[in-house]
Amino acid sequence: MSGKSLALGLLIVAAFGVAGYGIGRATMPAPKPDALAEPKSVDQVGFPEQLYKWSIPPDNPQSAAKVALGKELFFDPRLSVDNTVACANCHDPDKGFTDQLPTAMGVHAKFGHRNAPTVLNSMFNIEQFWDGRAPTLEDQAEQPILNPIEMGMPDEQTVVAKLSKIPEYQKGFQEAFGSAPTYRNLVEALAAYERTQNAFDSPFDRFMAGDANALTAQQKRGWAIFNGQGRCMSCHGWNPTRPLFTDDRFHNIGVSAHSAQFVPHARQALALLAKGGGSQQIDRLAIATDLSELGRFLVTKQPHDIGAFRTMGLRNLYVTEPYFHDGSQATIWDTLDHYNKGGVQNPYLDGGIVPLGLSEEQEDDLAAFLLSLTNQRYMAEAEKEYRNQFRISRTTRPQRDTAAAMGLKGRNGPGFSGPFGDIGPGQSAMIENPASLGGY
Amino acid sequence: MVTVTAALVAIGLVTLRYLAAADPTGVAQAQSSLPAHSVPSASRGAVVVELCDGVTHTEVKGLKPGQQMTRAQALAVTGQLMAEWRRKHPDRHWVLAQNDQASPSASSPENPARGNIAGPGETANTKSQQGDTYASFHERDFKVWQAQTDAFVNYGNQVFHSAKLLGSTIGVSCDMCHPNAANTHPETYPKYQEQLQRVALLRDMIDWCIENPIKGKTLDPNDPKMRALEAYILAQRKGVALDYGKH
Repeated sequence: MSGKSLALGLLIVAAFGVAGYGIGRATMPAPKPDALAEPKSVDQVGFPEQLYKWSIPPDNPQSAAKVALGKELFFDPRLSVDNTVACANCHDPDKGFTDQLPTAMGVHAKFGHRNAPTVLNSMFNIEQFWDGRAPTLEDQAEQPILNPIEMGMPDEQTVVAKLSKIPEYQKGFQEAFGSAPTYRNLVEALAAYERTQNAFDSPFDRFMAGDANALTAQQKRGWAIFNGQGRCMSCHGWNPTRPLFTDDRFHNIGVSAHSAQFVPHARQALALLAKGGGSQQIDRLAIATDLSELGRFLVTKQPHDIGAFRTMGLRNLYVTEPYFHDGSQATIWDTLDHYNKGGVQNPYLDGGIVPLGLSEEQEDDLAAFLLSLTNQRYMAEAEKEYRNQFRISRTTRPQRDTAAAMGLKGRNGPGFSGPFGDIGPGQSAMIENPASLGGY
Repeated sequence: MVTVTAALVAIGLVTLRYLAAADPTGVAQAQSSLPAHSVPSASRGAVVVELCDGVTHTEVKGLKPGQQMTRAQALAVTGQLMAEWRRKHPDRHWVLAQNDQASPSASSPENPARGNIAGPGETANTKSQQGDTYASFHERDFKVWQAQTDAFVNYGNQVFHSAKLLGSTIGVSCDMCHPNAANTHPETYPKYQEQLQRVALLRDMIDWCIENPIKGKTLDPNDPKMRALEAYILAQRKGVALDYGKH
């Protein structure tokens, strides 16, 4: 075979290979960094300055060189085994740093069991992942690269060897860390970039900063319900020091209970973990098996953590759909219906999950309020999705159970409904909506 | 005034809705009609300022309704009233205190006023969130609680010292009679107050003073300013034993 025909042959194979992938895979190409991928200012309205200082690990301080390198790495599909999946595939800046899919898709079009959480404001999470199995963003970043159905690299050495052969990374790591690439430096750079992706500066933040007109009348009603009858603030609380709308804890709210194989699964998990229980093993159980539904239990092995998942913050929700750890709910109204009926019964349901007795109008008010937590750069997109979900919610409400929500059926029975039962008093009973004063 | 009464009646009704069976004595109902702190009319169309005792008062010459005093003028008027009260009550215990700041600034995150919350490691597992969902705390939780509590108390400090935030129509603020919240004895509530002819909570007396001498509008119990005032006044008495009903 002549050199020419060999080259032609390789070209055909290459073209066929690429085309073959294109047909076999639904994967989109890795997103390119655009304006939304740029590091965000710390001067946003509502930015938690103290919390920001407390949330940067002393052993990985921010630097411009690290952030620049981290950004390159974040968008580079070469971090995956077949050069198809970058961090940005599942954490796309244009989709609020999520993939807007129910569960994340990795190499070879394999789907995991968990919804890809947003990178936005993730630096403030006390622990990372839906089950908190990584304490920091650095530790978090170590895992997807090596997970067989996410980025699929076989081991740390292979990743480092691959990066070390790329001239721009030789230079980038030298500038950021004064050394050749290491696996730890890699994740430190990724974490430094992720710590620049903070999205506050929402109508709500401007309202709290004193602009009484930043929220609509409906959104103010929603804020009152949020703090009152909706009981939202018990886990999704806001305060100026920690304005993240999360308690950084893990609760069983009854989402996993749709499968209800808790007890046999828990036994199975304990047996498996008894043989090892390292972070990579937990990672694989969490992403690739039905034991994923055990949630926090895989990490703590405590029975009260069965089916418990991280309380997600509520900012920018209308660009990070769908919802819950398994992405099982398409609209905010579905999540509100879930809470309103007191979740789904299971032996480990959090004691705070009770029927709420919210009316349709009150749910609409809450859904409108949640839109006010959107960063202004995502607002146009979010308003579009809000209108879309509003339209869907007029006809499609798979989670709605009005009788349960009103306490007319369920574990407490009709005798326990009303003001003396589970359902709390409504803020709507107030003469003046305290939301007009800002806080509570 | 009509609005305030209406609001109180409504709040009373809301309370009643949930207390119905548990309130045979009508305590909740009584809350709906707290007396207002009103003062004698002025002889020359000026403004009458009265102390919280409901008796000691003075007419501020040259001050027309709607006019504000300067802080210096207001201090002179309140100083004169307090001197008069002390002349009439030589035996009453009264702590002499001075404001340790002219006007407090907004809370400084790096320099919290007080450290009232148990530090990390004192009561709970702070390393990770193992253990019961609601009984395990991260080290950062303690920092957040401390910062928020300090901010709350510091806001109360600002309100306490600000005639404007208190809604005074004549430029009087709490600190003029109660430097650093001295002689507010919040630890003695609930207690019978003769001016009110009933048992009062601290907030009732705050409202009473807001009507006179401050000459503002009473605050809703849920008003952030009322809550912050209570927080500030209580925070100044850290470590003092509770002693309800004491006179």
